[in-house]
Amino acid sequence: MTEGKEEKGKYTTVSIPTPLAEKIKKRIEGTGFNSISSYVTYVLRELLASMEEEEEEAFSKEDEEKIKERLRALGYLD
Amino acid sequence: MKALVIGWDCATPELVFNKFLDELPNFRKLLKNATYGRMESCDPPITIPAWMVMATSINPGKLGIYGFRHRKNNSYTDIWISNSLKFKNVPKVWDILGKYGKKSCIIGLPPTYPPLPLNGCMISCFITPDATKDYTYPVELKKEIEKEIGEYIFDVPFRTDEKDELVKNLWEMTQRRHELVKYLIQNKEWDLFWFVEIGLDRVQHAFWRYFDEQHHLHEPNSPYKNVIRDYYKLLDKNLGELLDLIDDDTAIFIVSDHGAKRMKGAFCINEWLIRNKWLVLKEEPREIVSIGKADVDWSKTKAWGWGGYYARIFFNVKGREENGIIPKEEYEKMRKKLAEEIRKAKDDKGNVMNTKVFTPEELYPECNGDPPDLMVYFDDLYWRSAGTIGHGRVHLEKNDTGPDDAVHAKHGIFVKYPADEKRIEASIYDFAPTLLHTLGIEIPKHMEGKVIK
Repeated sequence: MTEGKEEKGKYTTVSIPTPLAEKIKKRIEGTGFNSISSYVTYVLRELLASMEEEEEEAFSKEDEEKIKERLRALGYLD
Repeated sequence: MKALVIGWDCATPELVFNKFLDELPNFRKLLKNATYGRMESCDPPITIPAWMVMATSINPGKLGIYGFRHRKNNSYTDIWISNSLKFKNVPKVWDILGKYGKKSCIIGLPPTYPPLPLNGCMISCFITPDATKDYTYPVELKKEIEKEIGEYIFDVPFRTDEKDELVKNLWEMTQRRHELVKYLIQNKEWDLFWFVEIGLDRVQHAFWRYFDEQHHLHEPNSPYKNVIRDYYKLLDKNLGELLDLIDDDTAIFIVSDHGAKRMKGAFCINEWLIRNKWLVLKEEPREIVSIGKADVDWSKTKAWGWGGYYARIFFNVKGREENGIIPKEEYEKMRKKLAEEIRKAKDDKGNVMNTKVFTPEELYPECNGDPPDLMVYFDDLYWRSAGTIGHGRVHLEKNDTGPDDAVHAKHGIFVKYPADEKRIEASIYDFAPTLLHTLGIEIPKHMEGKVIK
């Protein structure tokens, strides 16, 4: 699962069982995923995103004030 | 096949298909091989939730978004701002495409802050606090953007009397975004490329009175008479440049979330509720204040409202609001009563308006999140709602939160190219199924629209 051409330090190698890699290879045939790595990265990101807490806040307190101020300036808040 | 979706926020069918068509050569050329027409927006026809309805084919009730802001925990004053996390598990078209290994590039589609992971890249919308935040996915994309075009501009303050400055800012924001779009179209892999230009909405709100002779504040022969037309021409010029970058295997959609029409005035919902004994103040404010800052006597107040292009009304219900007084068993009766009274509300000349009042339950099969108790379109949206108190009257000729000449119209636009030249009437719910169909992807059963053929 290496991406040799990528910049050093931004990617790392993870080992997965060969049969699983073969399975993924078959799975992505004919799709837009051009490597096992890109598919595994996609699936893991999806999984992690769905595992994050439901109640996660979009804005910090300070950012919320900032965005309210901007929306007020835009006239969306009275 | 690939798809380029060009989102012209607030693009108005009467203007692009008729009034300005002759001055938009690229758009006109496109229409000769396009299926196009009016596209009916959702309820409410507001930027948030409309773009997300377009991207999901799911109604606002199910999405749980009814506007830019929502009440927090039935509070009188606390609000939360619409953001991407509120419906992160709802499948947007790019999530569906991602499952098929297809890549998407999504720019400026509200509300996409904070940007969530996708198979492709994303730049969030004008709900982003500012450009110091991580507003891209992947995070590294931000550096690339800044290298390419400098600081990314999310929005312009458009409710201003400094019109020359506004024109300059609008043109700069729009040109910068289009330069970025052209760069990304050429330098990223994508099956779906979808960007939204918010500038058109801003220019129409800020300059409508100067070209619409029917507007009550119309100024004939103003130097700003052609600003809206010129802005459409700017979009058209950029459209031509985008078309030069696209191959024959790419379908092009041009869409808007709603249209625009002249604003007749602002209807002070809380002033009206006070006069009709639904809202009681302990003391009259000495200046114009928001409902949150007014000295409301909650022990006597039955209902209060919010401003916006549509009005949201909340009831003060026992056991729900902190100082609620309406018993739960009387809630439905009260809603009906107030809805009836609002339908009879009059304009500044004493004529009954064509006001539409809905309960969220009437509009949506399910109501998630924090829905209002009533949703009101004063005079079919021609009068916007003003939430502030202290005006001493119900009708204002201008908006209470800064200059604004236009309100939202229920119909936006739909254009698909290439296709048989034909006029159609579409629904905003049809967009996502049509897009997926064009890209050869199976349409999920939960989608509420149909494929436009």
